[in-house]
Amino acid sequence: MKILTAFFILVIGIASGSTSAHHSFAAEFDNTKPVQLTGTVTQMKWSNPHAWVFIDVEDESGDVVNWALESISGNVLLRRGWRKADLPVGTVIQIEGWQARNGTPTASAFYVTLSDGRRLFAGAGTAKPATEEQE
Amino acid sequence: MLFRSAALLTVFLTFSAEAVFAQAVPRTVSGKPDLQGIWQVQNRASYNLLSHTARQDMQPGMGVVVGDEIPYQPWAAEQQLANFENRQTDDPLSKCFLPGVPRIMYMEHPFHIFQTDERVAITFEWTQVFRHIYTGGQQQMYPGIEMWMGDSRGRWEGDVLVVEVIDHNDQTWFDAAGNFHSNAMHLTERYRMLDENTIEYEVTIEDENVFTRPWVIRMALHRQTHMDRILEYQCQSEVEEANGDFERDVRTWYPATIPEDNEPFDADAGVELPELTVAADIPRLADGTPDISGYYLADGGGSNYGLETFSDRFLLPDSRGVVVDPPDGILPYQTWAREERIDRQRPHRGYDDPTAHCFLGGVPRSHYIPAPFFFLQPPGHVVVLHERMSYRQIFLDGRAHLPDHIRLWQGDSVGRWEGDTLVVESTNFNGKAWLNEVGDVVSHAQTVIETFTPVSADQIIYRATVSDPIAYTRPWTMEMPFNREDQEVLETACLEDNNDLGHLKDVRDEYRAAQNQE
Repeated sequence: MKILTAFFILVIGIASGSTSAHHSFAAEFDNTKPVQLTGTVTQMKWSNPHAWVFIDVEDESGDVVNWALESISGNVLLRRGWRKADLPVGTVIQIEGWQARNGTPTASAFYVTLSDGRRLFAGAGTAKPATEEQE
Repeated sequence: MLFRSAALLTVFLTFSAEAVFAQAVPRTVSGKPDLQGIWQVQNRASYNLLSHTARQDMQPGMGVVVGDEIPYQPWAAEQQLANFENRQTDDPLSKCFLPGVPRIMYMEHPFHIFQTDERVAITFEWTQVFRHIYTGGQQQMYPGIEMWMGDSRGRWEGDVLVVEVIDHNDQTWFDAAGNFHSNAMHLTERYRMLDENTIEYEVTIEDENVFTRPWVIRMALHRQTHMDRILEYQCQSEVEEANGDFERDVRTWYPATIPEDNEPFDADAGVELPELTVAADIPRLADGTPDISGYYLADGGGSNYGLETFSDRFLLPDSRGVVVDPPDGILPYQTWAREERIDRQRPHRGYDDPTAHCFLGGVPRSHYIPAPFFFLQPPGHVVVLHERMSYRQIFLDGRAHLPDHIRLWQGDSVGRWEGDTLVVESTNFNGKAWLNEVGDVVSHAQTVIETFTPVSADQIIYRATVSDPIAYTRPWTMEMPFNREDQEVLETACLEDNNDLGHLKDVRDEYRAAQNQE
């Protein structure tokens, strides 16, 4: 439940526009490379101007790749009530977003789906697309 | 009898010395020692807190540690030796990272102390770092969050400013010799003004993870009477300009000249904007000036993604359009500048945005970057502390601007109150900043006239008129509200955690490689 609260807070952060972005989002991420990933949280990096969530993702051949997922800034998360402990290591999440143009396992996570099926908006640098219902 | 006379004489002399001391120290209206001004150490503590002889890139100096010994635990003493051996690469300052406290206080860079009854701000020449010290009993909003510069809460004990600094991370060093601490460090700083031009600066350092007992450093801060404002030393931008990672734009950087095929600049063009009404109940300072001090967040309406109106751009927020003059909301670009703005939106140009490198936002961008900021109103100044780790110092004493060849990221800002509106004129820009992430163009030739009008207790209407004959055909004006909130400005360690720049560089390099193959 606490995780749900945290992601709801992420949504509000985006909607208010206080994203604390510091680079051209479209320059870093590729709108022709949408990604859907399911993985286990290995680290939450509490940083600015972007916080990062790292997840281990197993591909079709069974190899595990650690993906870096960009979020909004740690300071915005703080002001919305998020704390580091809210996304513990081992949590399984599914994300939808866009991969970095340089082809590395890096993505901007726009949506995060939790194990109970709820789909939450967690975009990093922009408010689009932001039409999804917020929990 | 002789003994008693001597004792009385001692008492008398002590009393006299205190009386002289009290007279010699400048004081604020509320009677506290007035620390305001520009200060710097005259020692070599930033190389090594202990007495040391010279090494390559290390000036010799006498120590500032009381007893000239740091009481390391055995493992930590070994770690310090390893740090020393690897100092060229391991020193956080070698990467231009935030120096932390207390190191920032004794680097070879001046700093400006600003003081009100509620807070003290220290703004540093080094990379435009600031410290925001609460002295009005404010409690931490976000305890336990580690920061490179820690969290500073102060109080006055008689004539001594005592500051407790906690919530450090374990990434900073005390000096270039690898003396270090853990994230459990607790500092107690004492600022004691000895005379008009000298502050005794003493710090008690406690860290049970690293040391066997508390220890103390003590040194003098000297007023820098030869300078009336501090300039900028942007560590990382100097590195990247020198090694070519951040490339000069000859069209906008100082001393670019007006292109020959520019349209003439119509300096007198412009419409009269609606007069703003100031509510009767806005807070005011003792002299009647509006009290605008506090935390604000601009309602920038997507200005960081475009100053004109935009919608339906994939992966970019909408921009409501903040240009109020010209009335059509379209920026009066010179042809080359509009073409440049369009080009800057191509993915390989994302690397060229200075803020992607964590450099300063400039003016007016620092206000809508988007990140919050804090206004202070110490006597004779308005100081803006930007959470994106930069600041603006606005002088209200009617001084002239800097000489033309002194060029700064944030420019040189001189202001005055006209009625209830703060009017600020900024010049001396270096022309390196972009106006936002989509590359709205501005050059070093810009003069920015800003007005800050507190229309209510919780809102300032901000207008900025940009006159730039290199990039535009006429002056233009943007407008947006700044909303006051009950919040604290935090720290943005941008460079230290910049995971994005490498990706943007890959995109640029790949583009250039493809161009070269064609």
